[in-house]
Amino acid sequence: MSQIQERGSTHVYKVNKISKEEMESMVTRCVYEEAPFCSAACPLKLDVRAMLKAAAAGDFKKALQLYEKAAPFPLIVSAGCEAPCEKKCRLSERGDGIAVREIEAAVSRCGKQSRLGSIFRTKKKKTAAILGSGLFPLFLAGELEKKAYPVTVFCEQENPEDFLRCAAGFLDDEAFRLELGRLKGKDIQFSFGCRIDAAFLEEKRQRFDMVCVSESILDALLPGSTVIPELMYCEEEKLIACRGEGVMAAAVGAKKAALTADRLAQNLDPRSMRGTEDPFESRLYTDLDEAKALTCIPKSGDRYTEAEAAEEAKRCIQCHCEECMKSCAYLEHYKKYPGLLAREIYNNTQIIMGDHQLNKPMNACTLCGQCTAVCPNGFDMARVCASARRNMVSTDKMPLAPHEFALMDMLFSNGDAFLSRLQPGKEQCRFVFFPGCQAAAVAPATVRAAYLDLCARLSGGVALMLGCCGAICDWAGRYEMQDTTRAFLLSELSKLGDPVIIAGCPTCRKELSELTGREVKGIWEILDEIGLPDGAKGMDRPAALHDACGARGDARTQETVRRLAEKLGVTLTETPYSGDRAPCCGYGGLTAYANPEVADEITQKALSRSDAPYVSYCMACRDRFARQGRESRHLLELVYGTDAGSPPDISEKRWNRLTLKNELLQELWLEEPKEMKLDYELNYTDEARKLMDGRMILTDDVIAVLDAFRENGEAIEDEDGLLVARHRVGNATFWVKFSMAGDNGYLVHRAWSHRMNVVKREG
Amino acid sequence: MAIEKNYYTIDPQGKLKCFKCGVPLEKGKAKFLYLDNGFPVELPVCPVCGFVYVPEELALGKVASVERALEDK
Repeated sequence: MSQIQERGSTHVYKVNKISKEEMESMVTRCVYEEAPFCSAACPLKLDVRAMLKAAAAGDFKKALQLYEKAAPFPLIVSAGCEAPCEKKCRLSERGDGIAVREIEAAVSRCGKQSRLGSIFRTKKKKTAAILGSGLFPLFLAGELEKKAYPVTVFCEQENPEDFLRCAAGFLDDEAFRLELGRLKGKDIQFSFGCRIDAAFLEEKRQRFDMVCVSESILDALLPGSTVIPELMYCEEEKLIACRGEGVMAAAVGAKKAALTADRLAQNLDPRSMRGTEDPFESRLYTDLDEAKALTCIPKSGDRYTEAEAAEEAKRCIQCHCEECMKSCAYLEHYKKYPGLLAREIYNNTQIIMGDHQLNKPMNACTLCGQCTAVCPNGFDMARVCASARRNMVSTDKMPLAPHEFALMDMLFSNGDAFLSRLQPGKEQCRFVFFPGCQAAAVAPATVRAAYLDLCARLSGGVALMLGCCGAICDWAGRYEMQDTTRAFLLSELSKLGDPVIIAGCPTCRKELSELTGREVKGIWEILDEIGLPDGAKGMDRPAALHDACGARGDARTQETVRRLAEKLGVTLTETPYSGDRAPCCGYGGLTAYANPEVADEITQKALSRSDAPYVSYCMACRDRFARQGRESRHLLELVYGTDAGSPPDISEKRWNRLTLKNELLQELWLEEPKEMKLDYELNYTDEARKLMDGRMILTDDVIAVLDAFRENGEAIEDEDGLLVARHRVGNATFWVKFSMAGDNGYLVHRAWSHRMNVVKREG
Repeated sequence: MAIEKNYYTIDPQGKLKCFKCGVPLEKGKAKFLYLDNGFPVELPVCPVCGFVYVPEELALGKVASVERALEDK
């Protein structure tokens, strides 16, 4: 069998299979990082979700910190806020939205203030003067203090109480006292009893880097000046000012003004790089089925106590879109939302020198498309990973090791085990049965029975093609190999007279229909049309139907299979995530070869949906589930009354394919197959067989080693008297530890391999 | 004087024998080659025919981890 070339030394940068723009358009579909609806609606950009989480946990200190980050004087803001967040709360669609404003008020009253922040902060060099009193100067002083600018407030009032009363005289006594304490606790300088006139303003302009004025001072000293509302900046006078009435206008104005001041302090254009300032519509998706408590916690008095506020905060469902991560064991394993993982995988493909640390995650995706089906925006991780793999291949950066076994297996399927024949006695055939490589490997007797049945009951003749559809090289990203495989299959189909393909596997059906551009039938459709053969029998217990990822988006196949199961008398139990939303069994995308641990997790997750036996219509699914110890049957096994039994190991899978081919050749086409007998006796201990399966060592590899040993006699003898021989096959060196059994036999005890080549060195 | 660097050393201590030549394996010079990288090592080598032995623990341990690291370069 031919060998696959390991990647070479000169990395020729050939083609970029995915552009940055393409990646960006894919990544932006993921809404995981979108702001929740409440925060998106908040004009002050309060992280409502985080604040509620802290309050729900009883951490009012943290909740207050978060609130003060958005509003330096929270009780004043609470009094004037119209709570647009409450209207946008997703719970309001099913019941009461969270009473955010009431919780905020409780947090402001009960939360302990942290003063460490302002004491230990290094102040910035640029200074700011705020002239006047009222809500805007108060809020702006708080915002600039938060940004660590040395701030001095010049006002007519004689003390902080009067200054605060001028701004927020509407507060009740308790709130006033708390906010006064907050004002005094801030690192803001005051100059009371000022008479502010033009000369005063001019003097402050000379002394300070930034000068901000209240609306009344602006109108009194510079009547008719225009303030740019997006910036809160009077450009001709180089003054920061605000126009607008009410608490929220002042609070929002102060935020914008502080950002403008920040930009100006750094000699930057105040118009650019301002981020998202205004409220916006969030694209976040929330699964409301998780919402349980739909009614507000009642207040015992006229406002929430700390405990009541915490209870109300607990009702928040913490809107997050994790639909794909909930359903996919691969994303769950890497604990990254797909937008981030996709970006990292893309960056991985762009590394020219250095470690490609994302190779493993890139090769662990099953490319099954479940994420696209469950994502409200259709995020396509399969496309990201498949493009990334092709990109790595095209730039000669893709390691061969993770996929070599599977690729060699495909070459075997389309080489030694390949068979393509017209139905015996027919000059031409209307159909060709293409059962797929896994069906022949896992359940050869079922394939044989299905073919004989199709021959007997379909008119027009049924040819047979045993081989691989090319999905393996497609999944591995080996696009050149895929071209070769496709050309080979097209030529073989043409030799048969291009009959209608009857696929035994949904993935083959998809691949072959893309290849030929013609409709490819599934054997399930044929059986639905011609009826079940005699002896077809369902199961005596209810079973869970596992939809194949190859049939995703193929409603006809999914329906037909269910109808067949019904005809067979199988009682199907419904599972979550079925149909288009079904997970992969762990075989797809070659995950089982590149990352067996993740593949096992994927299989277990697929099995966790039901305790019942699983019925599937893809032989790879049947095999993966049986390997996990679950009773697992392929629909065709029920149709033809066959039982593939316990899952075969990797060598038996090859043996099954070869034996099926040879037996059919002998039985139907009366051809003598190639001699497969060894001229010596070869046996394995149970341990050796198990080791070989786990280490991807085939009996063929062991035979190659022993053949070499028989020829050159090279081996070493260890302390226990066992012999160890080795031989390099393709890109790996295989070692076999064995003992002689009789004159012409060997018993294999252990086997191992490595890809590195080892040679003797001189000097 | 230059000091020779070896990435790994195994001394067979006379416990292994070359089946073909009938002599004990000795600690000898060998190198691993993979994806255009070479690593000098000292492994059990037959002094007559030059057979280099890579024990199972070495193949599945150090060798496998170095292979992974080089593959992801």
